[in-house]
Amino acid sequence: MSVRGTRIPPHLQLPIAGVTPPPTEKEGQRLFPTGNFRFFRPVYKDKTPPCNNACPTGEQIQKYLDFVKHERYLDGYLTIMEDNPMPSVTGRVCYHPCETACNRAEHDEPIGIRSVERFLGDYGLDLPEEPVKATLPPLNGTTIAIVGSGPAGLAAAYHLRRLGYGSVIFEALDKPGGMLRAGIPHWHLPEEVLDAEIAKLLSLGGIEIRTGTRAGQDISWDELRGYPAAFLALGQDVGKRLPVEGIQSRGVGGGLEFLREAGMGRPVRVGREVLVIGGGNTASDAARSAIRLGGGAATIVSLESEDELLIVAEDLEQAREEGVLFSPGTSLVRVLTQDEHVTGAVLCDARLARGDDGAVRPELIPGTEREVICDTILVAIGQVQQLGWLPDHLSDASGIITADEHGRVEGNILVGGDVMRGPSMVVDALGDGKRAARDIDRLLTAQALTPEPEVTIMPYEGLNSAYFRHAPRIDAPLSPAAERRRSQKVEVTLAYSEEQAVAEADRCMSCGVCNGCDNCYIVCPDVSVLRDARENGHYSIRTTYCKGCLVCVQECPTGCLEKVPEMDFDAPEDVTRMETAFAPYDGAHAEQSAFTRQLIEDTIAEYDAARRQPGPGGGPSPNGHPPNGQAPNGTTQPQNLRNEDHGEVAP
Amino acid sequence: MYHELTVWSRGIIMDKEARDVSSCIAAAARALGFYADNVSDYIDDPDRTNCLVRRYARFGDSPIVDRFVYENPRPDWVVLVEETIVKAVNFLRGTPDGTGILVVNSAREPEYLLKFLPDSMKAKLAKLVVVDAVGLADQRGSSPWMFVRDLGELAYDRMSTEGAEERLAIGMGIAAPLIGALAAAAGVLPLDGVADQVADRDAMFRGAAHHQVIEFARPAPAPAPTS
Repeated sequence: MSVRGTRIPPHLQLPIAGVTPPPTEKEGQRLFPTGNFRFFRPVYKDKTPPCNNACPTGEQIQKYLDFVKHERYLDGYLTIMEDNPMPSVTGRVCYHPCETACNRAEHDEPIGIRSVERFLGDYGLDLPEEPVKATLPPLNGTTIAIVGSGPAGLAAAYHLRRLGYGSVIFEALDKPGGMLRAGIPHWHLPEEVLDAEIAKLLSLGGIEIRTGTRAGQDISWDELRGYPAAFLALGQDVGKRLPVEGIQSRGVGGGLEFLREAGMGRPVRVGREVLVIGGGNTASDAARSAIRLGGGAATIVSLESEDELLIVAEDLEQAREEGVLFSPGTSLVRVLTQDEHVTGAVLCDARLARGDDGAVRPELIPGTEREVICDTILVAIGQVQQLGWLPDHLSDASGIITADEHGRVEGNILVGGDVMRGPSMVVDALGDGKRAARDIDRLLTAQALTPEPEVTIMPYEGLNSAYFRHAPRIDAPLSPAAERRRSQKVEVTLAYSEEQAVAEADRCMSCGVCNGCDNCYIVCPDVSVLRDARENGHYSIRTTYCKGCLVCVQECPTGCLEKVPEMDFDAPEDVTRMETAFAPYDGAHAEQSAFTRQLIEDTIAEYDAARRQPGPGGGPSPNGHPPNGQAPNGTTQPQNLRNEDHGEVAP
Repeated sequence: MYHELTVWSRGIIMDKEARDVSSCIAAAARALGFYADNVSDYIDDPDRTNCLVRRYARFGDSPIVDRFVYENPRPDWVVLVEETIVKAVNFLRGTPDGTGILVVNSAREPEYLLKFLPDSMKAKLAKLVVVDAVGLADQRGSSPWMFVRDLGELAYDRMSTEGAEERLAIGMGIAAPLIGALAAAAGVLPLDGVADQVADRDAMFRGAAHHQVIEFARPAPAPAPTS
């Protein structure tokens, strides 16, 4: 227990009335340690911003936005690279769950996080030397097998490298990138950017990619099990077939296969009247690519109604701008052919009905059949994976490898990405790769796999919104629709300028995380907020002096300051006990006034003398007070108590 | 027979509760035929929100001579209107060893509160009485405190009651169970006699019936002076 400031010297520990000097400002904090005013204590407790929580890779979005705001781009880039090895890719193609979760949406509009990420990613690619390289540990000699060089595989290789492991990636195609190359069109993710990101990872050393090596064909399950650990990330790249008449004819193909051929740079043939069957993002990408490559028209034929389309809103809007036509609530009944070549299709109205078992199945409306002319049909109704080469019990019919809640298949073999979760986002795969690397390290070092820790997510209501003035979101610029529908190469979404990136990052409200705004430091009426450095979380509360007025808690813009009941702090150093409520008798306060000090001494002496001298009535006064306020020796001269110490008793 | 009661509380926001405890005890003692005093404290800057403030009562069967010494020099009854005062100050300063009856308004276990007391303070205690006065008091609006809000909101209170008239009856809210627990644990003043001075009799009796007590062994009596 600490006793601060208010120790009473022994010779003053007597009941003295009415001689307490008032508090003074001079040296006030030492003299008058008011920590005992407090029954709630302000505590800095950072919470998880909703964006960080929504990101499958766990990117520290608030942190890098803060760096960008202060034009510290290298720090921002390195912050992203802790979680996500390819910000230039996700900065272009991510479906940004972070922006969907952003608290700023309740204030005005969500932050353009993806565009800032892209700004940092491109900043990193432009650096002459990859800065992460300097932070890597030496290779520990263990090599991990990874199947698939898509986002999950590359992320696992990167995070394993950061932990000191080497890796060898088996890629079935002749170029690395997986779905990033074979599923995402170039107008969305330019080939040069993907190549640069992969080259960046390879430059770290210890990562080898063996292209043209198909698992189950060129490398067997037993060979994979021979590695110290393996990560299966082969994705789902086989399009589902549609069981209708004429589907085998020429001119009918898979949307995924079409995107793959285009993405790998092989020549593709597409007509001028294209029907794309499906209501998801692959259908949208295929239709938009078909317009660019064929120069004609493309219609998306979907069972889903207009409102049920699974296409991301911004893609849907861009597709409409580019002239993609939609035929929602429609089913393909039959393909019309001539000489084995598609010439048209029979469509009819349909809707998605939910059966008793909860499964969704199409319901055709009879009598609505109609013929349309087309020369190409692309089917994009879902994807699977062929897993016949795996032991039967490890996969199911939908092309998914089964695993426990940690993504562990068996032994030291883990799985992630689409082949574990079904078709999902790039950033999901990147997150799986990150977790797999962590878990492989844990398995190899005999640690337990643990579930992700619980986090407290900061709600908008917890912020002090009065501090954030309304500022519109800076939308990422787009190429003109007429220009971009002419070429595979014209990127649709363009980059922020540096000024735009800084301005957009500046909109971040830093939900629940201290960003060193100094507000608590400024508003504290008692100089009890101390600032060591203007960095996140580098404030502290002077607990011996803080009165617990909680102005700082009320005025904290980000909500990272909380009030905690003082009684919850029961460590010895958390007790500041004072000798009196007021602290008048000791320290500089007492020293400042010789007069006050003398007054106390005199009163004590008077009191003491009265106690040891018989009063006029004979015998000491029962309450120890001198009778009639007069000193018992008949003089008005008070005797000093110190006399007693020298054995000089007053006469 | 002579007892000194010091009630510790916090400036402005829970000053009324402390005032009620000391004035009810003093009024009850006087009505029961004792000599009694009830004094407010102006040493502690009571116009400051949250600051520690004291209210004093004393009573005995002989006249009280120290009419102008308003700090109780040897309080043997101490009431803490709010639990954090347990760790804030030496509220047993001057209390003779083994005589202190400490009443704390808290919903916590007595053992937890005892953790905060150093041995030198524990040595002064005869009884630690813990009463959940907030839980036992009648709720006014959302709270039994003086203002109709809970303790968390009370922490944000920025208003002053300096110089205000007594707006509410004496012995309401959390003061009533505190008075009940004190009177029952001390056993000096009859409960009925005390209850006559308390506005919320029922809450006072609830406090008298529901509280936790830790009793401390009294130290061996000091040898009688030889002279």
